[in-house]
Amino acid sequence: MNPFKPFSFSPKQAFRVWQREVSVYKYVYKSTIISNLMDPLIYLVALGFGLGAYVSSIHGLPYIQFIAPGLIASSVMNAASYETTINTFVRIHFDRVYEAMMATPVTVEDIVVGEIMWAMTRSTIYSIVMLGVVTALGLTHSWYAVFVPLIGAMGGMMFAVLGLTYTSFLKSIDQSNFYFTLFITPLFLFSGVFYPIDALPEIVKTIAFLSPLYHLVEIIRPLVIGNIGYGIIVHLAWVIAFILIFTAVPVNLLRKKLVK
Amino acid sequence: MPRSFDIHPSKNRVTQNLEIQDQPCVQADSNSDSRQISCLRYGIGRANPLTAEHPVVARNLRKTFETIEAVRGIDFDVLPGECFGFLGPNGAGKTTTMRMIGCVSPLTSGSLNVFGLDTSKSMREIKQRLGVVPQETNLDEELPVEENLTVYARFFNIPSNVAVARAKEQLSFMELTEKRTAKVSELSGGMRRRLLISRAMMNEPDLLILDEPTTGLDPQARHLVWDKLFELKKRGVTQIVTTHYMDEAQELCDRVAIMDQGRIIDEGTPQDLIQKHIGREVLEVRVSEPMRSQILAFSLSMAKGHDSFRDLLVLYTDEAERVLEKIKGSGINTDYTLVRRSSLEDVFLKLTGRRLTE
Repeated sequence: MNPFKPFSFSPKQAFRVWQREVSVYKYVYKSTIISNLMDPLIYLVALGFGLGAYVSSIHGLPYIQFIAPGLIASSVMNAASYETTINTFVRIHFDRVYEAMMATPVTVEDIVVGEIMWAMTRSTIYSIVMLGVVTALGLTHSWYAVFVPLIGAMGGMMFAVLGLTYTSFLKSIDQSNFYFTLFITPLFLFSGVFYPIDALPEIVKTIAFLSPLYHLVEIIRPLVIGNIGYGIIVHLAWVIAFILIFTAVPVNLLRKKLVK
Repeated sequence: MPRSFDIHPSKNRVTQNLEIQDQPCVQADSNSDSRQISCLRYGIGRANPLTAEHPVVARNLRKTFETIEAVRGIDFDVLPGECFGFLGPNGAGKTTTMRMIGCVSPLTSGSLNVFGLDTSKSMREIKQRLGVVPQETNLDEELPVEENLTVYARFFNIPSNVAVARAKEQLSFMELTEKRTAKVSELSGGMRRRLLISRAMMNEPDLLILDEPTTGLDPQARHLVWDKLFELKKRGVTQIVTTHYMDEAQELCDRVAIMDQGRIIDEGTPQDLIQKHIGREVLEVRVSEPMRSQILAFSLSMAKGHDSFRDLLVLYTDEAERVLEKIKGSGINTDYTLVRRSSLEDVFLKLTGRRLTE
């Protein structure tokens, strides 16, 4: 099929796809929010208090203060990544939700955009809850933190685009593990969440610059702490460029996969 | 759209009068004797045959998947208010044809119009008026029964108060009201199929397409589904059904197209097809050579054709009893004989062969 075939996209129908996810989420949010946020909270407590007792400060910040904003960013990444890999795979292959949608006035384009919107929503929710926890621990020091949910949505979009792209190549659900062990976990560890990337060798530093999570961390941290510099513009530009350039990729790939 | 449901075909089509009308029933292609007959008989499209919109018109429709030619140039029309069946063995191209009608699978070549709209250009408009019942259930496992209907209705932009009312009505029609808050996983196979049909009815479609609607159901559930499909037809919903159950086709369909290896081999009312290919009766005889040839020698003049599969000789005839008497009179010993009414299954086996196709 011609990859340059024009998109058949309707914002209203994409919204309907998003609404379906909201309807489902009503039944599962209680259990999923807690289980999904346990992960960053455990890191915050274990490393923030445990390791923090030995690390005096990073860039003049107490250790727990340094990692808290980074963990907001990583919860954004996890929310969108789970949603667009495992959950999307189940919707395509096991529950065949998309097949049912495509029998209605919904196109693949609407589905992909709707799913991206939904992953963004979920990331935004997680960024808000995590920000609440961080604030409750007295680690938020700036009113700029009100922009964190917005960055959460943008981050959700980036990771939704990445996740859907990976899912379009998935043959079995087991392969989704590779995405987490070979991509998400390294991002989590090498994107400046737990230590500044200046500590890394030059080559790894360059690779870290390609990490979407790194840029999210570098935007969210100053917003929470309040030390905003011009550097934030570079990171914002990176995120926006990523979204503009890559969003069409999963739309095309999934269209190829689902329309036969 | 002109429709004449009052003189709708029903189960007792054998006794139906042949209505003679002066206006011709318009058919686009030339090879349409059987269609002419069925049009005349059912009075479909009589109001204004020249402009009556056929819900589906396919011309030289083809679909190729990489190396496999699934559909190899088929022509057919589905008429307003009728139930049209695609019969064929597995892999005949039925489901692919249904998917093309449902605008989820683009054509390789040919033309396909649904409600007079081009399937490659007006997907959304067509799908807005279609109800689709897939072969395998794809109900939303994450939502309870009633929300399966209301959430689906949103995809058609049906206002939520209307959707709730319709869902209630559909659940009661399909006898699922007490399951409205149940999880889909708690439903039996028959209930799931009924829920799938309810879901397909949420947008009050002008055309319902059902891919093997009763495969895997027990006899009770099959009869209930048939009953519901009949009621829908009485309400004027045009239906396209695929099946490889011949009793189902005979029960439900006004006209059928028999498909094999991507082509339509023949098309017509079940009755006409039986009459054309088989005749009134079938005589089955279990007999081996050389007696078989002996039987054939004197019976072929009284038969429309014959078929044999291993030890079984099948004679298609209008006078099975007479042939049987002759066999007995000739002193040939047979293990087993059976005289029965001919059915669509005989047509199917005659046209698509008795051997497994897979």
